[in-house]
Amino acid sequence: MAVRRNMKFSLPRMQRGLTRWIIVLVVLALFPVIGIPHSWLLYIFLFFIYLAMANMWNLLAGYSGLIMLCPAAFIGLGGYTMTILTWPPFNMPVFVGVIAGGIVAALFAALISIPVFRLRGIYFAIGTLVVPEILRVIFLLWRPVGGALHGGGAGYMVKGVTGITMTEVYWFALVIGFISIFLMRYILRSKLGLGLAAIRDNDVSASSTGINIFNVKLTAFAIAAFVMGIAGCIFYIFQGYIEPSSAYGIRWLLTCLLATVIGGEGIEEGPILGTIVVVFLHFFLARYAGISLLIQGVILIIIMLFLPQGILGAIRGIRGPGLLSRLRLASRSSNPGTNEATED
Amino acid sequence: MGILTDLATPITMGILLGGLYVVIALGLSLVFGVVREMNVAHGDWVILGSYLTYAMMTGIGIDPILSLVIGIPVLFGLGFVIQKYVLNKAFKISIDATLIVCFGISLIIQNFAQIMWSPLSRGLTTPYALHSFDIGLVHIPLVYLLDFVIALAVMFVLRAFLKRTYLGKAITAASQDRGAAHLMGINTFQVYAFAFAIAMAMAAVAGVFLGLTFPFTPTSGMSFLIIALGVVVLGGLGSILGTFIGGMAFGLAQTLGGHFFGVTAQMLVAYVMVLIVLAVIPRGIFGR
Repeated sequence: MAVRRNMKFSLPRMQRGLTRWIIVLVVLALFPVIGIPHSWLLYIFLFFIYLAMANMWNLLAGYSGLIMLCPAAFIGLGGYTMTILTWPPFNMPVFVGVIAGGIVAALFAALISIPVFRLRGIYFAIGTLVVPEILRVIFLLWRPVGGALHGGGAGYMVKGVTGITMTEVYWFALVIGFISIFLMRYILRSKLGLGLAAIRDNDVSASSTGINIFNVKLTAFAIAAFVMGIAGCIFYIFQGYIEPSSAYGIRWLLTCLLATVIGGEGIEEGPILGTIVVVFLHFFLARYAGISLLIQGVILIIIMLFLPQGILGAIRGIRGPGLLSRLRLASRSSNPGTNEATED
Repeated sequence: MGILTDLATPITMGILLGGLYVVIALGLSLVFGVVREMNVAHGDWVILGSYLTYAMMTGIGIDPILSLVIGIPVLFGLGFVIQKYVLNKAFKISIDATLIVCFGISLIIQNFAQIMWSPLSRGLTTPYALHSFDIGLVHIPLVYLLDFVIALAVMFVLRAFLKRTYLGKAITAASQDRGAAHLMGINTFQVYAFAFAIAMAMAAVAGVFLGLTFPFTPTSGMSFLIIALGVVVLGGLGSILGTFIGGMAFGLAQTLGGHFFGVTAQMLVAYVMVLIVLAVIPRGIFGR
């Protein structure tokens, strides 16, 4: 239970994997230059945006036991920060807005950590569920930059995106996607990752071994918020406009959940596989837009019931810490009735 | 004195509106307390209840409150089947598997309502839904009073059911100590299915009165879920009296919030209150 079997700590092994990833990154970065079809660029763009989000969700839910239901808060807040900064009186370049979006999302994570980190397990999930709804109502009412609004709600066009080509947006997505991959690799092999795993498995014993629970969780939370915020900014540069109902809507949570659950929660490569499926679904279900949520809901339930460790988990037959196993183990040890319910 | 007379109407309306939140929250609290699963689809079940009533009202012209004769058994049966064949299976996997499955169910209900009844806002408009009367300085819409009366009725029926019947005692036993209940010969998974089904029956009742009180869309479920969560947490898990007080508190928060900050901000006041309650008293006033 203590440490995952496949968790590697030695630096040389980490660097060996690194070279492989860098080669992939360079090849992908060359795609627009060598004239890959536009639709393929779009697939890869969405893949890396979703991957960055799903990786960060996996870091929190799979490795830290923080079932965080508010990715939309960070993504929407990042997107809104960037959009607002491109408008007068700020008139900032879009790139500054992207960084600012990440920083605001991380600061917001630090702010909401004060109430939500007092909560554990399912209560933490409830607490985070409320956050995007609050932001949605605020942004429906609040018009940060006056005048040039579009639509009835507080929707904004992102100013200054006309000068940005699809190639540039694609490279941005590539960068944030790979940053999320490297961050996962680094965090999981660092002291922070060990601290997170220890808290997930048993926070009392983690605390007694000298881990500052609040700080460790806050660091992971802020990092995830930062990356999600930036990924959100890049997505909204691509989309060109932002409005509260979709920015703080249920869709972002669904994307993170689907990608992580399909691939395998608590598995480093899980979101990569899951995101491929999600991007495929995204384009496949575009034809059936009316029932796309229904289909995704059904897929989520089927995967959860029949492949609770995701596709990769099922392939590897991993039995170790999966979905917040701390809670599961706790409920098992206190309730003998659950013993008949083994899942492998 | 002027402030008091100004506030008389929002305070009365808040307390009466609290009744609606009590009915929504009791179902959530029952599932949360007994099965220990966070039914994030509860708000959507309530809205589904509203839509079923809407369909019966516009389709065959049944009065919304009378339509409960059909609505309660339908949601009861659906709830029983879903808990027995889907959620019990997820429960055996892990607690957050149930959370994720409930999230999936929530998406399915929302999309289903959208396909069947379009994303437009609907309401259960009956002659009495618009009726209102004055008591002294206080102006009360009839449906708000109905919300309160039905909350009292549901509370007393639930209390009597949990205290007097075998199934009710089994549900209480399973919520207090699952293992011991199992050893006493209670089929806990069957009890869970009944608990969920009863919660769904209460969602049907809540759906009718929600539809009479507010207009609703397929995605309205989320805001009522959040308020119900606040009510359950504030009142304390498993306490009917606590849920009642919690409902009043959130009804008041909403109407007073609307009075002081405008109608558009009234939900914001209630949401922020949920966060504050979670952060300050996560075990609730009457929590065990």
